[in-house]
Amino acid sequence: MGTKSENIYKPFKVTLEKVIEESPLIKTFVFVPEREFSFKTGEFIELTLDGIGEAPFTPSSSPLVTERFDVTIMKAGYVTEKMHKLEPGAVLGVRGPYGRGYPIEEFVDKEILILSGGCGLAPIRSLLYMLIDMKDKLRKVTLCYGSKTPEDCIYKPLFSELNKIEKFSTLRTVDFTDPYWEEHVGVATVLLDHVEVDLPNAVAVVCGPPIMMKYGTFKLLEMGFPENLIYLSMEKNMSCGLGKCGRCMLGGYFVCRDGPVFTYDEIKDQPHIW
Amino acid sequence: MASYYQLEKTAWDKALTSLLGSFRVFAPILKGKTLDYELIKEEHIPQIVYNTPKPVVPLKTFFLPVKENVVVEPEAEKPVIILGVPACDLSAIDLLDKFYMAEEYHDHYYEKRRKNSVLIGSDCHSTNKHCHCTSYGLNPYPENNQDISISMLNGHAIISAFSPKGEALMVRILDIESDVPTFDELPVGLSEIRLNVKRELEKANRLLPNYQETTDAVINSDRAIWEKYAKACVSCGACATICPTCTCFLLIDRPGFEKVRQLDACQYPGFERTAGGEDPLKELEYRFKNRYMCKYLYRPEKFDAIACTGCGRCIEACIAKINKNELLVELTK
Repeated sequence: MGTKSENIYKPFKVTLEKVIEESPLIKTFVFVPEREFSFKTGEFIELTLDGIGEAPFTPSSSPLVTERFDVTIMKAGYVTEKMHKLEPGAVLGVRGPYGRGYPIEEFVDKEILILSGGCGLAPIRSLLYMLIDMKDKLRKVTLCYGSKTPEDCIYKPLFSELNKIEKFSTLRTVDFTDPYWEEHVGVATVLLDHVEVDLPNAVAVVCGPPIMMKYGTFKLLEMGFPENLIYLSMEKNMSCGLGKCGRCMLGGYFVCRDGPVFTYDEIKDQPHIW
Repeated sequence: MASYYQLEKTAWDKALTSLLGSFRVFAPILKGKTLDYELIKEEHIPQIVYNTPKPVVPLKTFFLPVKENVVVEPEAEKPVIILGVPACDLSAIDLLDKFYMAEEYHDHYYEKRRKNSVLIGSDCHSTNKHCHCTSYGLNPYPENNQDISISMLNGHAIISAFSPKGEALMVRILDIESDVPTFDELPVGLSEIRLNVKRELEKANRLLPNYQETTDAVINSDRAIWEKYAKACVSCGACATICPTCTCFLLIDRPGFEKVRQLDACQYPGFERTAGGEDPLKELEYRFKNRYMCKYLYRPEKFDAIACTGCGRCIEACIAKINKNELLVELTK
């Protein structure tokens, strides 16, 4: 990517193969790239809707699958609203992958506590697939996930799949319950009260809406996680993806180049991080 | 060591005329009270203003058009000579080159224009009200990034080449006359003027903190000063637009997977807003301070190059009459 001869602003084409409805606001789009494409978990792409706009997303599929990739998109603005209307066969543009993803090599021999909320589970699902692949080298993986309502909970089959895998466990919560909900109730961070952590051997990964990132991080610090072992996905308005347009600056960092995954100690002194 | 060539002004004008065929030449011309780069035709040559700070637009406008399609292949353009570039603008090139021509993510639109241009830097033999290059370690004469330097002295052009591109052009310039006088040292008259202008600038800006002091002061500042100055700001973005090192942009999509890069400004509301509605720089006061952080801390730290050249254009351009230097003096009082 981004070699001297390549036009850094020009997307390559991908064809939409399938659309999966995850929740009323969230869909997963399965794309087949026209040329060889691979990414590392946590890296992001710029997805272009021809003539309409471009937005950054972190693929939610396994990096080990290269023939196709998934992008899970919440209807949140002008571009995503139009993306939600797409039918299979549509041709979109992709630039990337960009950024610094999850340092999975540093997770070896650790237990991984993941806190996620809403559409923030998208990058996490990709990470989970990698963790499953390397599970022999891990102590354990705990996924804590919160959504607004049971209906808003995405990747429903994923949880039962994970619970069947040795060393993996999941906890779910919703802000607003319904009569059928039998799991936790409350904001995502409450789940952290229900997990057992072997701190000297643990790392934490957080990905979700900013408010959850903020209070989740505070809670993890309270639990005793060191600042350099809390990995945060600080996705912002990465527009060019190249560290040039300036729209994703987080203090002195370009989130698109230096992140989107940061440890808390890397960003804690920058202004307006949450 | 550089060699200085002395050409009669008339011979220099003749040399410049001879270059018009193979180059598009831009040079500062005074229109009313505005000094700005114009595309030079033969009749403009006597009107070119030398040794005077400073064209109203910064040098970056030649390499980064306000709006540009960055997916379609750019058309081949005639090589460009940009004449009369002041030292402040030349030094801005350090940051721009690192930013756009780094190993990874090469911007070949910038690169193409940059490589297609010959920069002829010019001394400043006078100063403008808000000039403060010397406060940031620069001198008011070309020292960095010029291919050729030119100074007018007593009816003569003192010319010197500083790069292979400059040397090549120099051959063509010197071709105009035989026996052009050459000096190994800068003519004494010129070094005296340089020293005087430098002293004048230092005197005018004696209260202004230097770059490092400014960086430290901005980092350690209290909120009150930003509140105070941001109150006057109307988020027009003029400071960023006119800044020789500001590069932020917006990518606009066009059908056919084309993209248009449009110069943008971090002072506009919604600059960092995301689709989810979050906006870390929502408050004008935050955007206002962020610009100073960017100029004096973030960019220099990341690119090892200064991001404020002391040109003073942001002060001149501000419709709210916010004087950055007054703020910085107040901050370090």
